[in-house]
Amino acid sequence: MNQRMPAPQRRDSILQAAQALFAEKGFHGVSIDEIAREVDVSPSILYRHFESKQQLYETILQQMSGKRESYVDTVVNSSTSFEDVLIGMTQVYIKSVAENPDMLRIELQSLLDGSSASSAFFKNRWKSFTDYIEFGLNERMAYDIPNREITIMAAGLMFQGMVREALIQKFLQPHDRLEDLSMDELSQELVALFLRAVGINKSHISRKAVIKS
Amino acid sequence: MSDFDAELDATGLNCPLPILRAKKAISGLQGGQTLKIIATDPGSVKDFEAFCKQTGNELLSSGEEGGKFMFMIKKAA
Repeated sequence: MNQRMPAPQRRDSILQAAQALFAEKGFHGVSIDEIAREVDVSPSILYRHFESKQQLYETILQQMSGKRESYVDTVVNSSTSFEDVLIGMTQVYIKSVAENPDMLRIELQSLLDGSSASSAFFKNRWKSFTDYIEFGLNERMAYDIPNREITIMAAGLMFQGMVREALIQKFLQPHDRLEDLSMDELSQELVALFLRAVGINKSHISRKAVIKS
Repeated sequence: MSDFDAELDATGLNCPLPILRAKKAISGLQGGQTLKIIATDPGSVKDFEAFCKQTGNELLSSGEEGGKFMFMIKKAA
């Protein structure tokens, strides 16, 4: 057994192994014993670093939240038109998932796990988009549209579903049905479709608005 | 510091709305004037630090009071 690792390094290796296991099997599908075996320590050593499986899982979520995608660059560097900021945000979000697809797996697992900590966490990430869309559409949509409020709420849901589905297709499915389309191209096309659907017609999205990784 | 020229209530809003609104509010100020921002998104602390660093506006203060975050930003001259 490898007992000589310094504590912070040990802690990191536990977090890394646990993240991969939670991504694969969900919160309930993983035991402390299994995580301990994965990093080649006894469970008692693992418990020195983390009180419980729950606490370990929450630490992983907090780490993700610390690395949270920042939309500051998008706001500062692009025009502040609704469309340009929305596209910029979407690209930043997609990039963060591309860098760590386990985040997406853990999100999907959490939908079925029933854990309130994780559902609040992921809901909060999407809230950036749904808030932005709701406020933006509220300002821009004509007031005489019937069922205006319902349309605005539905638009937020549609956007979230569309982006999350694209991420699932691109990052979680081994044989991507859309493999001829890069994630960049796909996301631009989806946002353009979305904007047409909500009546913000932009037939040509400014190339300058796209923040290349 | 409790002196400010304009106030922005961004409570309940997630990034990027607080900084987007701050950007617009600041553009309406004169150089040297101060904007006070109240937010509830915990991410706004890092966001406003980055925002000020990137735009050259000065983050005079950043603090927490009763579950809300307060920021004072001075517009660059």
